[in-house]
Amino acid sequence: MCQSRDPKRFDERLRKVPVEEAVGTCLAHDITEIRPGEFKGPSFRRGHRIRTQDLCHLMRLGKRHLYVLNLDRDEVHEDDAVLELAAALAGPGVSFGGKPREGKLQLHATYAGLLKVRAEALVEFNLVPEVMCASLHDNVPVDRGQVIAGTRAIPLVIGRDALDQALDVARRHSPIFSVQAYVRRRARLIITGNEVYEGLIEDRFEAVVRRKLERFGVSLEETVILPDDAERIAGHLRRFMALDTDFVITTGGMSVDPDDVTRLAIRASGVDRMHYGAAALPGAMCLLAYKGDFPVIGIPACALYHPTTVFDVLLPRLLAGEKPDERDLARLCVGGLCSDCEVCRYPACAFGKAPS
Amino acid sequence: MGAMMDFETLLKGSAEHHGHLCPGQVVGVRMAVLGCRLIGLDDPRSPAQIKKLVVYVEIDRCATDAIAYVTGVKLGRRSLKFVDNGIMAATFVNLETGRAYRIVSREAARDRVARYAPGISDPHRQQLLAYRAMPDDILFEVEEVAVDVPVHDLPGPSRFKAVCRKCGAVVRDKREVLLNGRILCRACAHGAYYRKIRAAMRNVA
Repeated sequence: MCQSRDPKRFDERLRKVPVEEAVGTCLAHDITEIRPGEFKGPSFRRGHRIRTQDLCHLMRLGKRHLYVLNLDRDEVHEDDAVLELAAALAGPGVSFGGKPREGKLQLHATYAGLLKVRAEALVEFNLVPEVMCASLHDNVPVDRGQVIAGTRAIPLVIGRDALDQALDVARRHSPIFSVQAYVRRRARLIITGNEVYEGLIEDRFEAVVRRKLERFGVSLEETVILPDDAERIAGHLRRFMALDTDFVITTGGMSVDPDDVTRLAIRASGVDRMHYGAAALPGAMCLLAYKGDFPVIGIPACALYHPTTVFDVLLPRLLAGEKPDERDLARLCVGGLCSDCEVCRYPACAFGKAPS
Repeated sequence: MGAMMDFETLLKGSAEHHGHLCPGQVVGVRMAVLGCRLIGLDDPRSPAQIKKLVVYVEIDRCATDAIAYVTGVKLGRRSLKFVDNGIMAATFVNLETGRAYRIVSREAARDRVARYAPGISDPHRQQLLAYRAMPDDILFEVEEVAVDVPVHDLPGPSRFKAVCRKCGAVVRDKREVLLNGRILCRACAHGAYYRKIRAAMRNVA
């Protein structure tokens, strides 16, 4: 990572050459051009290999000598190196800009989806001398164009050996970064609770759920409000599963009071697998169940109060077609405690960013 | 270094290339000339400059052909990018310097044609003349922008290839989609723009 196996000082590689003898060499620094009222910026970038056709331009800019880099066969300029690194790191749904700066490149998502990071492989990559890469967390939702990682070749000139070693790690574990596109796009919602069903209080869950779904372009096809009646809830669940729906959300009835029957209803609806309880707060009483690949997610009532709960953590994973299990729910523990900040900045915080 | 041809020569060539002379040709030629000037390219079709330019067009109408004609950008060379926004706008990017300008054709310019070409009853002819005469700032809205052209969109050979796990098509340049853990082409992932009528054509001849 930060140490170089063969540290060589920058100035050892610099050589001053007359412009007319510079063809084929690499510029050691940017060359700025100023055309009054028209243009100011680098006309030639550091690392640019001087061509015959550049000579007149350089002379017009007043250059008679240049600092150039002496690269051995087993050495690679940082900007060339980082292009190779980025190409090896970027899996499906991930790309990068074509112009490295100072040996750095940012990787970005080419479409919206769930970022997948092979964390152990990324650690191994970072153990290679002279390269580094830092990223967002695994399993976070990313938008199209969002920067998901940055990588760089650290010295101005990197040894071919170190570069090849890093490329080998990235290729062996490919894809280190990928984006899973969202595949579940139609939801149905069952709001449970005698107090809402009987009109004693007004439902506020539908608006909360709808807003969270809209963030991902998911359509809420239908909402029903039901009393705490396990049989009726199970019946509606079965009906929803048979309709044009990708997943069902239930709200309320997730705790251990005698009237909390939603969990029993989900079991009675004929699901094959059910995982109750997540190691995260708020939202510990969350439930995930599956009938085949069809998910049902039960949100406890705390989601009415807290702006962010386990539901926000699990939703993008469900939308990306994943089927989190009890281990995934347990793994949320580190980073699973919401700091309840005055202004919620989720997902730009530690909540739900379990080490993978 | 050469220089761009004069406006009337460019317009004539553009109209021939496009198939007819229309107000869109005038707007497109002017947009291209202005865009190239702003990013410091005075002869974009010349061998020295042709690889420095990428143009993003936001509409597939007459002006687009004029922009392509004047600048020499081409879809097949990956120097012409079509972003289907339905907006009469184009962004000119100098890949070498990173300078980029987005130019939008002002809708309000339509209401001012009578002022710049008075006394002409034929609206088509009036637009042709007025769009020639209008100052740039009446005809266009111009903004300097940053466009980080991603590596998979740059001209040059394909650097990335994937194989669709469903139909077997080779997908180049990062256009694949990871869906449910499978690499798919866009048609298999999101649906195609076509409908299959027969399974496959046999013995076309």
